[in-house]
Amino acid sequence: MRGADYVIKRAGFAVLTIFVAITINFFLFRVLPGNAVADLSRVPRATPQLRHALEVEFGLDKPKWEQYLIYLKQLAHGNMGVSYATQQPVSTLLANDLKNTIPMVAVGTIAAILIGVLTGILSAWRRGSALDHLSTNLAIAFYAFPTQFLGLMLLILFASVLPTSGMMNPFVLGPESLWARLKDIGAHMILPALTVCLTLYGEFTLIMRSSMLETLGEDYVLTARAKGLPDRKIVSRHALRNALLPIATVVAISLGWIVGGAILVEFIFTWPGIGWAMWQAIYQRDYPMLQGGFLVLAVSVIVLNFIADLAYFRLDPRIKE
Amino acid sequence: MRRTMRLPAGLVAIALLAAACSGGGGSTSAGSSGGVKNGGTLRIGTASGIDSLNPFVAQQQDAYSTFEYIYPFLVQYDTNNLQFTGDFATRWNESADGLTWTFHTHPNAKWSDGQPLTANDAAWTLNTILKFSNGPTGNSAGMLAHVKSVTAPDANTLVITYQKPVANVLSNLQQVAILPEHVWQQYATGKGTGLRTYNNQPTPGHPVVSGGPFVLVSYTPKQIALFQRNPNFYGRKPHIDGFGLQYFANDDAMITALKSHQIDAVETVPVTSVATLKAAGLHVYVGPGLEFHDFIINANPKKTTHRELLNPLVREAFEYAINRQQIVKTAWLGYAQPGASIVPPGTGAWSDPSVTPLPFDIQKANQLLDQAGYKRGPNGIRIADGHPMSYQVIFPNDEAGAGDRAFQIIQAGFQQIGVQLQQRPMDDTAAFNAISAPNSTYQTFDLAMWDWVPLEDPDFILSVLTCSQYGNWSDSGYCNPAYDKLYQEQGVAVNPKARQQLVYQMQQMIYNARPYIVLNYQDVIDAWWNNWTGFVESNQNFFNPLSKQSLTEVHQT
Repeated sequence: MRGADYVIKRAGFAVLTIFVAITINFFLFRVLPGNAVADLSRVPRATPQLRHALEVEFGLDKPKWEQYLIYLKQLAHGNMGVSYATQQPVSTLLANDLKNTIPMVAVGTIAAILIGVLTGILSAWRRGSALDHLSTNLAIAFYAFPTQFLGLMLLILFASVLPTSGMMNPFVLGPESLWARLKDIGAHMILPALTVCLTLYGEFTLIMRSSMLETLGEDYVLTARAKGLPDRKIVSRHALRNALLPIATVVAISLGWIVGGAILVEFIFTWPGIGWAMWQAIYQRDYPMLQGGFLVLAVSVIVLNFIADLAYFRLDPRIKE
Repeated sequence: MRRTMRLPAGLVAIALLAAACSGGGGSTSAGSSGGVKNGGTLRIGTASGIDSLNPFVAQQQDAYSTFEYIYPFLVQYDTNNLQFTGDFATRWNESADGLTWTFHTHPNAKWSDGQPLTANDAAWTLNTILKFSNGPTGNSAGMLAHVKSVTAPDANTLVITYQKPVANVLSNLQQVAILPEHVWQQYATGKGTGLRTYNNQPTPGHPVVSGGPFVLVSYTPKQIALFQRNPNFYGRKPHIDGFGLQYFANDDAMITALKSHQIDAVETVPVTSVATLKAAGLHVYVGPGLEFHDFIINANPKKTTHRELLNPLVREAFEYAINRQQIVKTAWLGYAQPGASIVPPGTGAWSDPSVTPLPFDIQKANQLLDQAGYKRGPNGIRIADGHPMSYQVIFPNDEAGAGDRAFQIIQAGFQQIGVQLQQRPMDDTAAFNAISAPNSTYQTFDLAMWDWVPLEDPDFILSVLTCSQYGNWSDSGYCNPAYDKLYQEQGVAVNPKARQQLVYQMQQMIYNARPYIVLNYQDVIDAWWNNWTGFVESNQNFFNPLSKQSLTEVHQT
């Protein structure tokens, strides 16, 4: 029962957080100065009638609270609205952006997690060695590098070897086999995913190293050593499992941000993902796109956090107590 | 939003004025004689991009350049001399009273799907724009101002009747794409909302029904648009098989892709990349452009704070304190020209040559401020009406880069005359909101920097300073009934000489009132690899919404 209580509480909290996020999403962007109509009606000899027609079309002529209720009602019906800028359904546009973003950011993030955890373990295991110094300093350096700088350096360095822009060879006309297409997308993904990976992995290295060092100093590790267990076994069987606890939260949060895209990386490599789409939407005051995009992001982060809570419940028996 | 007009307007084509035009120089066209290699796909890079393929939704220039190449237009520019030439209309004439314009269109023309392309399509398009002008087609309605009726008495004749004579009929019509009625008519029902929601995108095996020299066969938003030669095109067929327009989110990636041969040509090269591209062996075109950058001083007589800025002596002193030569040299690396008039020389005869910048003269500027009675305070900053002459300069994101460097030069100059400036960066929408605050009354802002891209015809850039543009295009709070009267007069002055005099008067009026201190005109810079030639350049780059010439002429060497 205690377990069920925990899950229900966490689930309830997650739902409440999503509702708060929806509300904040609605009002936050409307606080920004200017609106979409002001931009879109700036055409030669625009008349007040045109401006009014656009306000009516977008529902911006109604009071804010009424717009909010309409938004909630539409959302309850699964309707995210129509983009002001492109006049296309937000759900279609977001689905397309997510389809592009998720593979690239997921590859980069998962690679970062794997490399980070591995190098963190190695650093802690070989604490004080040249390997530890090298690994820790590299991790700090990449962690500190501005994403745009790192991305641009990779772009300039590999411009003649790897594709540097877009998701696929854009000048292919006519049919193309699925395999050729996947290979093409994979080649285009290398540099942006590498940038994501390099900017993220340092964080995992440092957290993992610190967590491992803490665990390696515990009495039960000392006992294991006293029993004459080999180092490899101590690390893999006793220290690693316990050291993974703090990493679980960071991993969950990182995975949640995958759908948020990577604005700077997408911008540098012209990767048509959701981060870049949100950046454009803010610029254009495209409220439906912003609300939709940030809703997806909020739901994703909250759900992944919920999953992290559940994982903690499994991993750490102390919570059950 | 960038203060960039999305469409070009026209210069009235008379030989007298055209002779003075200086716009489209620098063409590299090789013509169609010997050495032309047909075929191939030209890969163009752009950092602007297509925002929508629906002419009633699109805002970006690349979208309108795309329409130029896939749709018929009644007329187009010859960008070599900025005169009008035929497109779908082979010839045209106007009635003696200037109210009726008759266009004779290409006979036996076809859309890319084989359906007949006739004057009826043109009449349907124009009538649809008029019918929904206060709603779905509002972004095109300005081009048909004062139109009374549009008819197609036969398949090859279009007659447009105006309520009163209009000075720039051809430049307006040059901006209206003729759409296939058989595709679009289903969306022009009810309130016409379908006209805006139709995405007009190609799907596999179903290209966009096109009537221009190219057919849009493939489009991936924010990535690529691919075009193939249209075998049904009524005009001169292109040399190339097709072209692709690849979008880049940033200039660095685009220039790198060009240097590494991932693309063949780019439009709008950043000034910082010119030397690199030249060194890499690319052909770099530099020519006069229309875009100008300006320093804005609130001109609203009802301004509530810092009213000393309305003093003509202060405004004149500010101009003396701006070092335009250094801005051109340092901020634009020489790829710009100092200027003073809101109608750039790139428009040809419409720009008044007598409107010239004041020299950079700190001594004179100090003298004028002393004369105005604004003495320096203990910290060197002048005091006006009890407060220090210290102002925020609204600085939109559009101006970032070269504009930042220009601001620093202006700031240093102003410091020498005892005026303190602080940069206030913000995004474009927020900047316009701050300038027009509160509630489009322009009562609070002091100074700003921004740019304009005027059109070939001066009507648009002159219009932005009229009183009716408060809350719309106005970014200076300037409102002068005398100026508005001249604006109305030039709009109906069908005699080009008479119109030119009115346009000159308006430029002088603005120069003297200084809602803007024009800083410089930015050059057009394009680049391509030398295995391509035949680009026909214009003051709006080689891929432009002015004419179908450039990509019809371009070919491999």
